[in-house]
Amino acid sequence: MSEVPESTAATGPGAPWGVAAAAFTRWREGDDDGFEELVRVLSPVLWQVVRATGLDRERAEDVVQTTWIALVDHAESITSAQGIAAWLCTSARREAWRVGRQSTRERPVDDQVLAHGLPDHDSPEEQVVLDDEATLLWACLGKLPDRCQKLLRIVASGPRPNYTDVASSLGMPVGSIGPTRGRCLDKLRHELTLSGGVR
Amino acid sequence: MNDATGASRSDDQLLDAVAELWTRLDPPPDDLADGVLARLAVRDLEYELLTLVDSDAALAGVRSATMLRAPEETGTWSLEYLGPGFRVQLRISRRQRQARLDGWVSPPQPMTVMLSSVLRKGGVLEAQVSDSGRFEFPVAPAGACRMTFVTESGGRPQATPPFWI
Repeated sequence: MSEVPESTAATGPGAPWGVAAAAFTRWREGDDDGFEELVRVLSPVLWQVVRATGLDRERAEDVVQTTWIALVDHAESITSAQGIAAWLCTSARREAWRVGRQSTRERPVDDQVLAHGLPDHDSPEEQVVLDDEATLLWACLGKLPDRCQKLLRIVASGPRPNYTDVASSLGMPVGSIGPTRGRCLDKLRHELTLSGGVR
Repeated sequence: MNDATGASRSDDQLLDAVAELWTRLDPPPDDLADGVLARLAVRDLEYELLTLVDSDAALAGVRSATMLRAPEETGTWSLEYLGPGFRVQLRISRRQRQARLDGWVSPPQPMTVMLSSVLRKGGVLEAQVSDSGRFEFPVAPAGACRMTFVTESGGRPQATPPFWI
């Protein structure tokens, strides 16, 4: 993929990019265990990337699998181990959008249903126990416009995606993604401040 | 994270918190990675099916077994399949107990075409698609066959559903 690489620099202390790069290198050197580790480390990341585009769980699982098949088919063309997570996430995101567009054509879905399978904001996932801070963040996200919620989930998942991809997903001009992201984050901070939470 | 001073989080820190939230709200299936590994394990057996879009005379897959056993049967049948990015037309000619198969791929692209019998394993015939998109099997096997297309760029093979020669 000859795109501007996604940034893998600033995505939290727990981000598995370094582990993934090492596993990829081991695999390319002939160690199949490296591949299995890569799959185990990055599949949950790909899941979030794909789900952020709004695919249902069944299709999302299929897209994650397809993405790994694409990696095996194109492994030769990936020269940078550091870029492996970005390559996979970009591939997964594009495949997810392709599948999403296809399924929309097949069966028109109400926009609300398609809107990322967002859990209902009034009933934060009974089965998930969130700590106070996460509960507050969830509540504040729910007060943002739908488009902001979508955009923040997309840009938060995986390595920070490049704006070209985000723009094509949301049907927005590339140049407006940065400012929109900034405005959405500002709105979120505002809601957090009103609620007395960590901004 | 901020601390007692009340400094706000950076954009990336806030997005990390959003990502972490979604990880907990929408966890992947427990067997996600196992499913990937299992699918890759059988991947070599996989191919994508081409879609039959047109046929005349004897329809693909519905010629009766009785007709198949009539070795004197002569004639010409055509089939057309649609794949991702290409279309294949096939013409099957039978005369004097011999079958011949001619094909056209459009748009023309370098591919290897394999013709195999569905029931009898082994004996796979191979042909290359020419610059003009043509390929041929001057002596084709009889019975239920399947044609598989492999592009030079790799990727999953594309195969027709079984058809009768």
